[in-house]
Amino acid sequence: MDKISHAIGFGYRRHIHEWTIANLRHFDVLEITLDHCLVGSEAAKAMIFDLVGEIPLTAHGIGLSIGTDAPLDHAYLDEIAALLDRLKAPAYSEHLAFTRVPGRDLGNLLPLPKTMEVAERVIDKVRQVQSRISVPFLMENITYIFDWPDSELSDADILSHICAETGAGILLDVENLYLNSQNHRFDPYAFLDRLPANAVQEVHVAGGVTLTEDILPRPLLQDTHSHPVPEAALDLLDYALRRQAPSAIVLERDDRLEAAEEILDDVARLRARFGRMIETSAIETVDVKPVAAPADQVA
Amino acid sequence: MSSQLLHRQTKLLEYLTGSAGIFGRARGLSNEPPLQGLDLGLLHLEARFSHEKRMQKIDWVLTRTLELLASKREAVVRDFVEACPPASITWLDNARQLHAFLQSRWTQGTVEPAWLPDVAAYEIAYATVRAGERRASLQDGLVAASGSIRLHPSALLLCCSYDIRCILEGRDDDIPARRETHLVVAMLPSSDEPLVSALSPPVFELMGMLTEFVDPTAFGDTPELIRLLDDLAATGLIEVCP
Repeated sequence: MDKISHAIGFGYRRHIHEWTIANLRHFDVLEITLDHCLVGSEAAKAMIFDLVGEIPLTAHGIGLSIGTDAPLDHAYLDEIAALLDRLKAPAYSEHLAFTRVPGRDLGNLLPLPKTMEVAERVIDKVRQVQSRISVPFLMENITYIFDWPDSELSDADILSHICAETGAGILLDVENLYLNSQNHRFDPYAFLDRLPANAVQEVHVAGGVTLTEDILPRPLLQDTHSHPVPEAALDLLDYALRRQAPSAIVLERDDRLEAAEEILDDVARLRARFGRMIETSAIETVDVKPVAAPADQVA
Repeated sequence: MSSQLLHRQTKLLEYLTGSAGIFGRARGLSNEPPLQGLDLGLLHLEARFSHEKRMQKIDWVLTRTLELLASKREAVVRDFVEACPPASITWLDNARQLHAFLQSRWTQGTVEPAWLPDVAAYEIAYATVRAGERRASLQDGLVAASGSIRLHPSALLLCCSYDIRCILEGRDDDIPARRETHLVVAMLPSSDEPLVSALSPPVFELMGMLTEFVDPTAFGDTPELIRLLDDLAATGLIEVCP
């Protein structure tokens, strides 16, 4: 009987490079934000590239804005493709979202109208991305404050449809799922049930804060990547893993980095709950619709 | 021709990056066609969070500049938001946007405090050097005659109208004197942070002539000059082509 294990990892942040190196033994994998390799000093980039061979790396992006209804930035994609090769990353993940339009860049992930028309446009973009990179492409569910009134698909359905049509994998952010389910009042377990089995290739976990505002009918949970992962999110992950076999579970942390012991505590919690070996026979077969790789995709 | 979706996305970003979205008090559902049905209260939160994130990036670079704006800061930021929507996610690009906006304002009226432009220029220079921006170097394949010298490719020269060193050194009770002060900011080899040095006017003038590789004998061959160039080479502030 085949067995696999989930690698437990951490999203690399330059500000705590020394700490990360000193604690490398606690992680099976580091997630590199590719955009951090594109800007910044040569020394900072070298710190990232020096990790190659020291620990497995996986690659995440924040600058693609695949949901912008304008041509993709092919020069940016070419830089990403080169970085993926240099980092020997097994996959490249990005968000099902948009962050900019020509001339304006919000720097924050925004939701798309969840319609079939929008899904088709994203599908075309995903295929373009796949044609330019040499590793699997993964799409991540985002957290959002507002939704478009003409959205007609559920979060799970649009993500599943895009991934099924393109063969892209899913990066499941369980914190985003948990926050959205609380903020927008839907059943997160139903979301998980609607994802194709085995489509989730990587997982993000994080912890945020609760915001109370006069204009809100109830407190808003914010994805600040600043606090320990809530148990409720880990419960969701536990449930997700009944049908999914992600290769990596990555803890994201961007704020309160000085509370480094919380990072190690979270990793220990993840390892205790999910670092065990699992039997692949317990996972349902893949029901993602297979698609032919684009002709110019380089293996 | 813009698609309908791109049009809606553009209108949304215009709203989220504008004063109405960030500072406005509109609530309820939007009636504006491209944004029709969107919750204005939630858009305000999105706009505010994004603006705060942008200002945090700018604050990382222009920390003292923003402090020195003091009571004018809020009004300046509001005008900045309207004039300069974010065009990039990097902190340096956003800080440069604010700096350019401030420079434009400073040409139109009295600057208070008077040394604010010097502090802002210094903070941009420091961040630029720290971010690793540099001119092409010998390592990039630049060809130069053996023995020729040049300012270190990362180095930026600043001629300040005020002696702002007390501010840079955190001596907040001191008032910068009106005195031309020449600074160089450079990321030297084996250093994690930029080096900031005050230069005498002649040395500053000399270094200003070294943005390209030149033959050092063009400046003369007095023992004092040779010693000076040796010292600058030893500190790494000028590089010598082998």
